[in-house]
Amino acid sequence: MTKKNSGHKSAAVSRRKLLQAGAATLGATLGATAFPMPVIAQAKPFAGVTLRGASFQHRFFTLLQNYIPEFEAQTGMKVDLQLSAFPVYNQQANLELSSGGSAFDFVNVTFILAARWVAAGLLANLDEFTGDPNLTPAEWKPKDFVEGAQVPYRDTKGATYGYSWEGGAMVMGLSRMDLMEKKGLKIPKTFAELQEVCAAINGTDGVTGLVSFQLHHWCLPPYIQGFGGNIFRNPPTDIMPALNSPEAIQAIEFYANLLKNYAPKGVLTYTEDQARQALLTGRSNIFIHSSAWITPILMSGDSKVKDTARVVRMPAGPVRDFPAANSQGLGIPKNAKNKKAAWEFIKWALSPEISMRLVKEHGHSSVCRRSVIESEEYRKLNTVNGQDLGALYLEVLGLPAKGENYMAYRTVKEFPIVGDVLNKAFEQVATRQLPAQAAMNAAQEQAIANMRRAGTAL
Amino acid sequence: MSGPIRRSASVRRLVAIGVTLIVLLSPFLWLLQMSFKSNDLILQFPPPLIFTPTLQNYVSLWQGAFPASFVNSLMSASFSTALALILGVPAAYALSRWAGRGKHALSFAILVTRMAPPIAFTIPFFLFYRWIGLLDTVTGLVLVYTSFNLPLVIWMMQPFFETVPQSLEEAALVDGASSRIVFLEIVLPMVTPGIAATAILCFLYAWNDFFFALILTRINARTAPVAVVNFMNYEGWEWGKIAAGGSLVMAPVLIFSLAVRRYLVSGLTAGAVKG
Repeated sequence: MTKKNSGHKSAAVSRRKLLQAGAATLGATLGATAFPMPVIAQAKPFAGVTLRGASFQHRFFTLLQNYIPEFEAQTGMKVDLQLSAFPVYNQQANLELSSGGSAFDFVNVTFILAARWVAAGLLANLDEFTGDPNLTPAEWKPKDFVEGAQVPYRDTKGATYGYSWEGGAMVMGLSRMDLMEKKGLKIPKTFAELQEVCAAINGTDGVTGLVSFQLHHWCLPPYIQGFGGNIFRNPPTDIMPALNSPEAIQAIEFYANLLKNYAPKGVLTYTEDQARQALLTGRSNIFIHSSAWITPILMSGDSKVKDTARVVRMPAGPVRDFPAANSQGLGIPKNAKNKKAAWEFIKWALSPEISMRLVKEHGHSSVCRRSVIESEEYRKLNTVNGQDLGALYLEVLGLPAKGENYMAYRTVKEFPIVGDVLNKAFEQVATRQLPAQAAMNAAQEQAIANMRRAGTAL
Repeated sequence: MSGPIRRSASVRRLVAIGVTLIVLLSPFLWLLQMSFKSNDLILQFPPPLIFTPTLQNYVSLWQGAFPASFVNSLMSASFSTALALILGVPAAYALSRWAGRGKHALSFAILVTRMAPPIAFTIPFFLFYRWIGLLDTVTGLVLVYTSFNLPLVIWMMQPFFETVPQSLEEAALVDGASSRIVFLEIVLPMVTPGIAATAILCFLYAWNDFFFALILTRINARTAPVAVVNFMNYEGWEWGKIAAGGSLVMAPVLIFSLAVRRYLVSGLTAGAVKG
């Protein structure tokens, strides 16, 4: 009896298992139709490999970690992804790469360090992987990455050392359109109009005209370029600093006046969060920064200005219209032990399929695949209050590819040196320690001296 | 001194103490109140002083990787302090009793490692540790902190040993005690305040270190100060967790210092007044 029962039970379980297996297969097939799996080179070619990677913490990786077990199941490798805070990661990765270490098989190529790492030859040339059809099938489409986001990961000869997983397009957020409409003000499209709107709004209903944050070498260059200047004379070929050009002086004066007259007290030490909070709560009317920091005024649950906010292109300068763009990428250290396995991971993580899943399943919008950003699904999810945020994002991120490469100053490995000097000069002007001309003349000299000290021939 | 003058002096003293306390404690109190606020409240302007406190920041810390970092800090600071004392105290005693010609040169050589900034040693340590596999280990941190604390122990303990009369040791030797017994049972109990003060300084150095921990650890041996910085994310700083983590990092040092306060005061002031 027991035996019979047991046999019966076993048969029942077996049938259940069969049904479960059938359902799982069906589910997987349906799932694959809805979200096709990324192409993996062969079945379990990397069994036994432990892939070590590192990055700073970001929502992209938090979401990606949900899918990594699928990748591990497909390839047979184990992914050990170390995530640290932004400053901690940058310090550790910089040291690891520059000392020729091989602790990581793939790394985040941080925007601010990309030019230095690429120029110093610390990363593997990814063209060797994309150029080999055995390693990269045509469906992966390297050209699908938005050109503006790829700029930091190319060397002077055009070789690619990273692929971007996150893009930031500089846009303008306006939190109090209600106040502006009451005063008959339109969305500013030029620097002059920006100043007029800030002046008209500042102080009304306790709102400041605009807000910004302490990273001036990110916020300021679009103004310098807007007035016709640049950070270097003609980057990346001519890297003589151009900080004391009349255009740069005019720009720094303009931007310093905006902050001095129309921003909250203490704005020079504001972090990005503080500035975003001022915008989200409607304490400041305008914030010009990467889309990821601005779009929460329309999309975040914390936003108190959802009904009165707009997100638009930043105003154009009298000479040029150059909003900045940034991106974060994935690359392979030159001395990595498992380069092919690392490429398999990068290819999978940045595949159109995973990018689309991130958009559809998590509403993660800052992906860099043009085909995904242009898709109907993306447009639906990112159209808020009638504003097509995806189109705006793509438009700004695509600008460096449409002619003059105005983000070239970020591809120069000496930018951090000049950027630091620019930050200090701006603070001197904004705090009225020095007039713009004197500050920028001193900055020019200092930048040249620092670059020479670092070994740059000018 | 008449009554009103004495009262006025007392008032002045109280005001001075009050002002000093405000200056000294306000950063800690500000940090502490931040740790009981949500991120939104922390960033609110003007900052609200009356609010409904929340334990959420501490709960999140407890649920994350912070406790492991805290344990790493405790282990690296405690073991390195103990090791530095075990090696340094006998060395200091030997130096204090040695009257040879090379004494000053040796003492100076011991202090050299404390003269260069830590950055000068960090990269060699990093490369060496990577080579021998000590990167991202508590053992690696203990060895680094010990090497930095050892000169401090030797230099701090020498004057304490010099205050112990040699006649006491000679008397014990005459009574048949061995050198080991003399050191352990006669000399050491007399320099306990010095050991306590030195231990506190060693512990503080290792506990508060950020730079070595940042460079020489990754995930497994990450210490509390680095873990606190780890809340400075690209997408925004977790102010509440930073404040809660900072408050917790202060706690062991505070407790340790209070526990040995009696020894600390006498240890740090020993030899300050002669005669």
